[in-house]
Amino acid sequence: MMIELMDITKSYGSEENLYPVLRGISFNIQDGDFVVLLGPSGSGKSTLLNVISGLERPDSGRILYDNTDITAMSDEELTFFRKEYVGFIFQQYYLLPNLTVDKNVKMGADLAGNRNYRQIIEAVGLVDKMDKYPSELSGGEQQRVAIARALAKKPRILFLDEPTGALDEETGRLVLDYLCRLREEYRFTMLMVTHNNNIAEMAGTVIRMNSGRIVDRYNNSTIKSAYEIGW
Amino acid sequence: MIIQIKDGIKLIAISIISCCAVFVCNLFMNFNIDIARIKGLISNPEVMTFYEAQLTMSRVTCAVSGGCLLLTSVIMLFFYIKHYIDSHRKELGILKALGYSNIKIAKGFWVFGLSVFTGCGLGFASSYALMPLFYKVMNPDVPMHFNIILALYLVILPAVFFCGLAIIYSCKKLKRPVLDLLRDRESSYAGKKRRKEQKDKEQSFIQDLKQATVKGRPALMFFIALASFCYSSMMQMSFSMDELSSRMFAVILIVIGIILACTTLFLAIITVVNANTRSIAIMQAFGYSWKDCSGAILGGYRLLAYIGFAIGTIYQYLLIKSMVSIFSKTSADIPEYKFDTKSFVVVLISFVIIYELVMRRYSARIKKISIKEIMLK
Ligand SMILES: Nc1ncnc2c1ncn2[C@@H]1O[C@H](COP(=O)(O)OP(=O)(O)OP(=O)(O)O)[C@@H](O)[C@H]1O
Ligand SMILES: [Mg+2]
Repeated sequence: MMIELMDITKSYGSEENLYPVLRGISFNIQDGDFVVLLGPSGSGKSTLLNVISGLERPDSGRILYDNTDITAMSDEELTFFRKEYVGFIFQQYYLLPNLTVDKNVKMGADLAGNRNYRQIIEAVGLVDKMDKYPSELSGGEQQRVAIARALAKKPRILFLDEPTGALDEETGRLVLDYLCRLREEYRFTMLMVTHNNNIAEMAGTVIRMNSGRIVDRYNNSTIKSAYEIGW
Repeated sequence: MIIQIKDGIKLIAISIISCCAVFVCNLFMNFNIDIARIKGLISNPEVMTFYEAQLTMSRVTCAVSGGCLLLTSVIMLFFYIKHYIDSHRKELGILKALGYSNIKIAKGFWVFGLSVFTGCGLGFASSYALMPLFYKVMNPDVPMHFNIILALYLVILPAVFFCGLAIIYSCKKLKRPVLDLLRDRESSYAGKKRRKEQKDKEQSFIQDLKQATVKGRPALMFFIALASFCYSSMMQMSFSMDELSSRMFAVILIVIGIILACTTLFLAIITVVNANTRSIAIMQAFGYSWKDCSGAILGGYRLLAYIGFAIGTIYQYLLIKSMVSIFSKTSADIPEYKFDTKSFVVVLISFVIIYELVMRRYSARIKKISIKEIMLK
């Protein structure tokens, strides 16, 4: 799916004290690309991610997915759109605490009618933790459950907000490596927000933000693997 | 100390329930004491049996309503304390890490008994407003007195009892390894038995979540069943009372029934929704519709509510039947009591309507939850 952003703006705050977070953002994401979004804290990366993925509405501008404008959708349509196309991986994992690993992944699988979701649990190396609760897992394991959950719903586009932010170097590399391999296998588009400049070397496209604007955008000629980048 | 007086006072549900309990008990106990005072003056054996019957009935009413409400308040107190410890486990863990003993921290939990004190005090005072009318209806020949000893039994002792109970229970709950508290781990889920996991594997995720939500909080199961039990039994009883004895009883029962049912129902639902805000937000982000979400979070309690209603119906039938049999010993003109189908239907329909409306109101609240809310936390 090709994604087109056209002059997106978004502000927070009250009428008289309006604080612009996104100040006119336009770019395209090609189908199957791996895009990394970089920028200092508070520059609006998470907000942009939420807006593109249909979790929040922009104040103005259009977001086209293969020429369908999601900003014109009703809440119900938007929910349905997310169900059909979008997967998320959040920094804080956000697993459901009262369900086991298996059932957490099933949450994603059920949305896509995916009956073979246990393959994905296997792929992220958690078969032996299937019946554990999230509180019994390490941070890296929890993140892998979140990845499995997102992939089990067979998304066309996967959004990741600092997926390695809470992980140490070793588990961070492991998780990134999984993601890249799974992307090749399942062929989805990936948009990742990160603080880690090194991760940009793994991406096809890099976008740099500052104060709600895009300040730089380039394509990498050589793409490195998770074990070739610095940390 | 980190537990403040206001933490103790804001347990409004406990206050309301103890208020109801003391209100009813004080009416009957005051009447009982006064009746006992004039008992010696009665010579006519017929009047005597009537008085005895009244005594028995007040005792039964007191024991039943007081007992039920006491049990409910105790469970609610435990529920609040557990909830408080769970949501403040970081601070409590730090205190323990610094070397505070369990008992030293637990001592601060006495404030949770304050809500009982305010509730009982309020119920005690307000029952005197109704007392003259109550005496007139029960037996106008009994002169009314203010029996100060009841303030001890109905206000002071319950408050002290609940303060003590709060300390003992919290001490028991604090007996957890410090790291368990400090780490942001919801230990309540870890280490749970997983026997049944295998069996129910192939149902849908929504079904799984529904079951896990209900089973995760047994206290809330109890509250929801209790709410419908109270509504069902008190409302139906009040219709029968209206025919059998007096309008005043009917009104007392209706008011108490509605207050109890609403308090427990709202307490339960608000807790369920708040505790699952995060799960709901994630599910909505993933593309589950809000109907799916509210079905999974709230839908599991519907069966319990109807079971509570059924038990309430049976309970009130048996209770009134036994009361009528007590009275029919004293006078012959009391008709035999039969199950009142008409009031059953009316109460059932009103129950269904109210229950579904409340659920819809909270589904609407669920609809408004957004992922942004939890990200900012
Ligand atoms: N709901 C909100 N209400 C008010 N202000 C908000 C809200 N959400 C975000 N902001 C503000 O918008 C700005 C951008 O936030 P955003 O989360 O997009 O930054 P970010 O680039 O992801 O930062 P970080 O790298 O720290 O995650 C911040 O200044 C933040 O305070
Ligand atoms: Mg961010």
